[in-house]
Amino acid sequence: MIITRQKDFESILRNLKDSRRVFLVGCGECAALCGTGGLEQLAGMKRRLVERGVEVTGMHLAKTGCQVLGTKIELKQHAEAIRNADCMISMSCGAGTQTIVELQDDKPVLSANDSLFLGNMTRHQMFDERCSMCGECILDQTGGICPITGCPKGILVGPCGGCDDGMCEINRDLACIWIKIYERMKKLNRLGEFGAATPKPKDWSKNARPHHRITRAPGKKP
Amino acid sequence: MVKKRPTAPQDYAGTREEAVTLRQAFESGAFVVTAEIGPPKGTDLDEIKRLIEIYRGSVHAVNATDNQSAVMRMSSLAVAKIVLEQGVEPILQMTCRDRNRIALQSDLLGAHALGVRNVVVMTGDHVLLGDHKQARPVYDVESVQLLEIIKSLNGGTDMTGNALKGKTDFFSGAVVTPEANPLEPQLMKFAKKVSAGAKFFQTQAIYDITMFSVFMEHAKRFDAKVLAGIVVLKNERMAQYLNDRVAGIRVPEELVKELAVAPTKEDKQNVGIAIAARLIRQLHEKRICSGVHIMAIGMEDKVPVIMKQAGLL
Repeated sequence: MIITRQKDFESILRNLKDSRRVFLVGCGECAALCGTGGLEQLAGMKRRLVERGVEVTGMHLAKTGCQVLGTKIELKQHAEAIRNADCMISMSCGAGTQTIVELQDDKPVLSANDSLFLGNMTRHQMFDERCSMCGECILDQTGGICPITGCPKGILVGPCGGCDDGMCEINRDLACIWIKIYERMKKLNRLGEFGAATPKPKDWSKNARPHHRITRAPGKKP
Repeated sequence: MVKKRPTAPQDYAGTREEAVTLRQAFESGAFVVTAEIGPPKGTDLDEIKRLIEIYRGSVHAVNATDNQSAVMRMSSLAVAKIVLEQGVEPILQMTCRDRNRIALQSDLLGAHALGVRNVVVMTGDHVLLGDHKQARPVYDVESVQLLEIIKSLNGGTDMTGNALKGKTDFFSGAVVTPEANPLEPQLMKFAKKVSAGAKFFQTQAIYDITMFSVFMEHAKRFDAKVLAGIVVLKNERMAQYLNDRVAGIRVPEELVKELAVAPTKEDKQNVGIAIAARLIRQLHEKRICSGVHIMAIGMEDKVPVIMKQAGLL
């Protein structure tokens, strides 16, 4: 899921500038699980805005904020409240925010959250980054553990000189991902692969931005 | 080609041949000594020129470090050229932190054009350890892959196989941590560096000859020269800092005590110099490795003294 963090409330207020009537949109997927865009956070944002003299004309928890057509249909029921607002505040990730931008071309849309990373929820509201969406998965060569994500340098060829007693040079509480890979390969009796030929440098053309992909069958109408 | 320079120290192996390049120094069988020059933060060259003069005639080659500890300084390539101009054999240090594969290859061609022939590559300390923490770290390739790139350039093509008009003739080196824990993945990476073309290694600082000899038993099976890293200790605080904060360095407790009992700042420095000289002497006399790489952080002036005490000058 996309891990988000709520921006400092005062900075959200500053970004509002002259807007005094806002409509809030949350997201029922990742942001809800992160505690940055669910029903509770929408209610909290409303309360704090009202305390500071900002009128909230309405709010909506999108089922899946990055699903543009679905969100468009959902927001129809709020047409009047949205019309009455001079600004939209999105409490989702950057993708969800841009759904609202696409649907509301006549109003400023502010993001209440910073989008941080693609991660796994390991415990309640505890998240670890596991995938960089680099465009070409190498997990089959690294014992199922991603060094592009787990190593601050994204090294593809074993631990660097900064590895100290199995910990990383940039943070002594962070285990060196290459030691984890080494230990896992050893356990799986596949250490030979660890020591085998040097992987070629990553092909970043496979990750050229912006990405665009169509998965529906050819000839089918959208 | 690099002109012949009157810089070569005596050949301590006894063949008395005058080694001019680092490659020749190794080939002559000499106990090779390299040292380091940290490029200036700014444009003032007085200090590095003074240090290069001190190094002239006492060491075989000098590393120009590449924004070491991720602190922004003058480019290592410019300093390598200045070292060369002053008649000392330079070793260009190149990290993968700040340049993508295009810039690295381009700078390598440029270095070759300026007469630099020795390159030592490393992945590079992370930007978060330096003075520009907001910078985007690059790491488009890492050390083993950069060695492979140099191998391609030496073979007459760029890394994608496009032909070069005029190939390079680099003598590649790399780094290794003999006391890494766990050691096995480090040794596996060492082997990869050798097969990627590393002809010499400068190690992380070592203080324990017995531990280092264990590593050398492994390293001797490979066709590469090893220069033991010698970091000159200033006082017990520095020793403690290395133990606590620097990856892969272990200063034995008895050395920390030896520094601690010395009364004055100068006495402590002299103890540090004596420890370095003692290590070098043992490595040389027992022929444990091919030479030493002296990192005299802030005590570069003392390198000739250390070498005299070690019986090398």
